[in-house]
Amino acid sequence: MSLSYLAVWALMLVFAASAIYGLVWAIQRGQLQGFRAGARSIFDEEEPVGVPTDAPARGPGQRASEASPVGRVANEREGR
Amino acid sequence: METPGQGAGPGVDRDEVLRRAEIDASCRTPVMAFFASGVFWLLVGSALALLASWKMHSPEFLADWAWLTFGRVRPAHLSVVAYGWASMAGIGALLWLEARLCRVRLPWPGLLLAGCALWNVAVAGGTVEILAGRGTSVEWLEFPPFWAVLLGVVFLLITVVSMMMFAARRVAHIYVSQWYLFGAVLWFPFLYVMANVLIHGELARGVTQAATNWWFAHNVLGLWLTPIGLAAVYYLLPKILGVPIYSYHLSLLGFWTLALFYNWAGTHHLIGGPLPAWLVTVGVVGSVMMLIPVGTVALNHHMTTRGHFWRLKESPTLRFTVFGAMAYTAVSVQGSLTALRSVNEVVHFTHYTVAHAHLGVYAFYSMVIWAVMYYAVPRLTGREWPSARLIGVHFWCAAVGMAVYWVGLTWAGVHQGLQMNNPEVGFLEVVRYTVPYLWSRSLAGVLMTAGHLVFAYHLLKLASPSARWIRGPALFGRRRLQEVAP
Repeated sequence: MSLSYLAVWALMLVFAASAIYGLVWAIQRGQLQGFRAGARSIFDEEEPVGVPTDAPARGPGQRASEASPVGRVANEREGR
Repeated sequence: METPGQGAGPGVDRDEVLRRAEIDASCRTPVMAFFASGVFWLLVGSALALLASWKMHSPEFLADWAWLTFGRVRPAHLSVVAYGWASMAGIGALLWLEARLCRVRLPWPGLLLAGCALWNVAVAGGTVEILAGRGTSVEWLEFPPFWAVLLGVVFLLITVVSMMMFAARRVAHIYVSQWYLFGAVLWFPFLYVMANVLIHGELARGVTQAATNWWFAHNVLGLWLTPIGLAAVYYLLPKILGVPIYSYHLSLLGFWTLALFYNWAGTHHLIGGPLPAWLVTVGVVGSVMMLIPVGTVALNHHMTTRGHFWRLKESPTLRFTVFGAMAYTAVSVQGSLTALRSVNEVVHFTHYTVAHAHLGVYAFYSMVIWAVMYYAVPRLTGREWPSARLIGVHFWCAAVGMAVYWVGLTWAGVHQGLQMNNPEVGFLEVVRYTVPYLWSRSLAGVLMTAGHLVFAYHLLKLASPSARWIRGPALFGRRRLQEVAP
């Protein structure tokens, strides 16, 4: 039984250490810097900042290039 | 509006970047299998919920069937919803989000499909055992250990697949959603295995078992469902609106403070129990400190959406996301306040707690997961949701049902708690007082289940051969693509 408790405690320490290691690793790799660029890392040429991805393919008076990515697929399929 | 491409992330080699369509295609089969399984268990869980709810005000209903007695149906409902619906749909969302965030194809699709099948077998087997009267009676760990081992194996598979995607990632920056998903895939499988070993391995007994039980049970929400839900919100809100998160540094502060405080909170469930006072106090302090990450999340979500609230009129994904995000703030603040001893001594062991739990798992988590499905499924399958009207029916059934549920049970719970603390009031009198509110719960349950049926029907319709290929998002109102003049 005492060996089991020891194993549990050891694993608990590994658990806590993994979180601390993650934080230290993130600081050392500069993950907690450059917040403006970080916030934009999910955008790119395919889905740029400023273009909603859940909007009509092409609204009235809107150019096809201004359509949302989903809409662009529809436009391409329909040859617009 | 900015020039296209200006928003490309740091460290992204554009030649290396996979098109999202390729990433989504690699996710299609495993993620859709997890989503579809989740929806199936949602329907089973809803049926068990209605049964349990009905028995609260009409205890004679199906009372002669041992399999369907309240003591079995209620834990079966909880287990099916937690491990069937929430976990399976959550794993689908998690895999899709990680593939997109790391910009890699989803590895091992065949093995993930096998994992999905194994998970279904485990949930089915565990649920049948609970209904047969062989549940463990340990809340949130009611499946007998054999089925828990199977779930543990799949949890480890998900962790390995996540780590593989992370190791092969094509972006230098780790987006905030990725941090939350780390929390889910690294910490929760560990917690699940550890809690099972401690409790079923008989290392933790008596008071220690209760402490272990609630340390684990609270972390199901804190380190499994919450990280997946928040990762999804932090991804969907900017993507739907086309604007970056308002304050990225606050979002990271929110993650690290959640990592620091959330897993302390579980012992607030044992206020008044025979635990050392310091252990309960640690839980109370951890719960109140959660106001910090919750504050950062609430501020960020609100400020990101500000100026775009009009889009709630047309975007189904945004509507579900915003509802879920607001419910996260509400349930978290309510949770911090409920953990205070003075509040807890009134509302503990009342219907208030049941309403609170549903505000978390339903109003926050489930609404966000539906948002992920409404956004991801068309991109995974290439087919659009056939009917904006059906999405609207689903939303309003879920939202109104949840509101009726929460208001009725919260009101009844507070009153019930005050009456139970008053020695002048007889126990049966308190029970009779709650009956009308228990009917309101069943009514709310019928409404929510109707929404789930509509959603399941809609998903089937999307998968049917007659479904349309994608032409643009199914939006509410007149701005639907089909109604926009070419």
